[in-house]
Amino acid sequence: MVRAVAFWCAVVAALAVALPASAHGPTRKKHAETIEINAPADKVWAAIGNFADWSWHPAVEKTEATGNAVDATRVLTLKGGGKITEKMLKRDDAKRTMSYEITEVDVKVLPVNQYSSTVTVTGDDKTSKVEWKGAFYRGFMQNDPPPELNEEAAIKAVSGVYKSGLDALKAKLEAGG
Amino acid sequence: MASIRAAFAIRTGLGHRLAPICLTACLVWASALGAATAAEPGAREAFVTNQEGNSVSVVDLDTMAVAAEIPLGGNPAGIAMSGDRRFAYVAAPESKEVFVIDAEARTVARRFPVGRGPLGIAAHPTKPTIYVADWYEHKLFVVDPESGKITGGIETGQSPSGVAVTPDGAHVLTADRDSNQVSMIDTATLQRVAVIPTGDRPFGITIDAKGERAYTANVRSNDVTVIDLIARKVVGTVPVGRRPYAVALAGGKAFVTDQYAETVTVFDTTTLKEAGKIAVGGYPEGISASKDGRFVWVACWEDNTLEQIDVSTLTVVHRVTVGAGPRAFGEFLR
Repeated sequence: MVRAVAFWCAVVAALAVALPASAHGPTRKKHAETIEINAPADKVWAAIGNFADWSWHPAVEKTEATGNAVDATRVLTLKGGGKITEKMLKRDDAKRTMSYEITEVDVKVLPVNQYSSTVTVTGDDKTSKVEWKGAFYRGFMQNDPPPELNEEAAIKAVSGVYKSGLDALKAKLEAGG
Repeated sequence: MASIRAAFAIRTGLGHRLAPICLTACLVWASALGAATAAEPGAREAFVTNQEGNSVSVVDLDTMAVAAEIPLGGNPAGIAMSGDRRFAYVAAPESKEVFVIDAEARTVARRFPVGRGPLGIAAHPTKPTIYVADWYEHKLFVVDPESGKITGGIETGQSPSGVAVTPDGAHVLTADRDSNQVSMIDTATLQRVAVIPTGDRPFGITIDAKGERAYTANVRSNDVTVIDLIARKVVGTVPVGRRPYAVALAGGKAFVTDQYAETVTVFDTTTLKEAGKIAVGGYPEGISASKDGRFVWVACWEDNTLEQIDVSTLTVVHRVTVGAGPRAFGEFLR
């Protein structure tokens, strides 16, 4: 009897924890990563601000772009397959910042919806700071998402893209590349 | 006298820079506000829903300072005010419930479940009735906020988002996001009496003070549809900035939040011509005007700010940090 009660208490406790986390509609999330790079801000901006060539990112195999100004689109082909189509929303070279949105992506490639992002470089002629931030919904837009398409999965994926990209950018530019 | 003090408080709240012009401006304002407050009080407070912060920030609009933070839960987003401005109604899509906030006491008076995806919400101007749009059930629920009982449900188009009630209380409108239309519903019979086509993916909807026109912000076509509510026809489409979210009306102008562009696009509601763009914080979303039409307030989701726009100069004159992820989707001023 005591064991049965304990069992049911455990089940109820597990449900109480599990239900609110899984049974809800999508909420927009934001995520940001920053990195310091020992290289001039103009040089860092020349790399990350080049919408038409993101070969510095370790996940990107190929960039095909229509230009480097607002409204330009690009298709990123990823290593191991998968494509992401993006469009530039804003650009200010004086402030070393640009924004873009994903217009087309399979949630199996990146588990997000309505994704938009901004990269900004601040600093001087010696050191720089890069901020990469994004706003997005999870991959599954109906109620009750599967775990691979929930909010946690979306944040984990975006965080991975930002961190691996910024680490590679730092390594490349500090090596004088 | 109270209104004169309020007018001074507004100006002094803006800081030292404006002090020299304060005296004359305030005297003019004081008389204008005095006339207005005799009929009805102007906006004194903003109730900003913080979706990530799971709370409502109460902002004193005279001083632009946060006066209180009310914890809620459920990822609150949509908001409406009772006709007498005593209660704020907040829709929380994650916990699928509505919170009734006693605005003066700053406490949650009641909370009750509504549907599977409550987001947009509006209140009847005179009756104790609220309308809650359900994103997943494609319905508008009619709810008694005193008992929490759902007294009716009307089929709308797909994924109704914004909700607004005409000033006379005769009709309630929903922006049916995934059907590219507005549903017009008779509040007495609870029958849909008209369906009006809009641009691509209408989200926020706002009705003017006379109940003659409605404006929808169309997220995907980057424009605003202007609807004549008497003829029940579209009278114009106005291009705005990228990913518009909601519309406020003040001083013969419409103010539209452009989420991706980080601007508020302003256009003249008579000529439907653009009158300017105002740079604001990241992801501007909920927007609302004071009844006297002098100021517009906008919640910026990414920067966690509430920003005050001067309607006469079309500039941001003050901003205050609120809770995390402010959305303020609906009528959030009282």
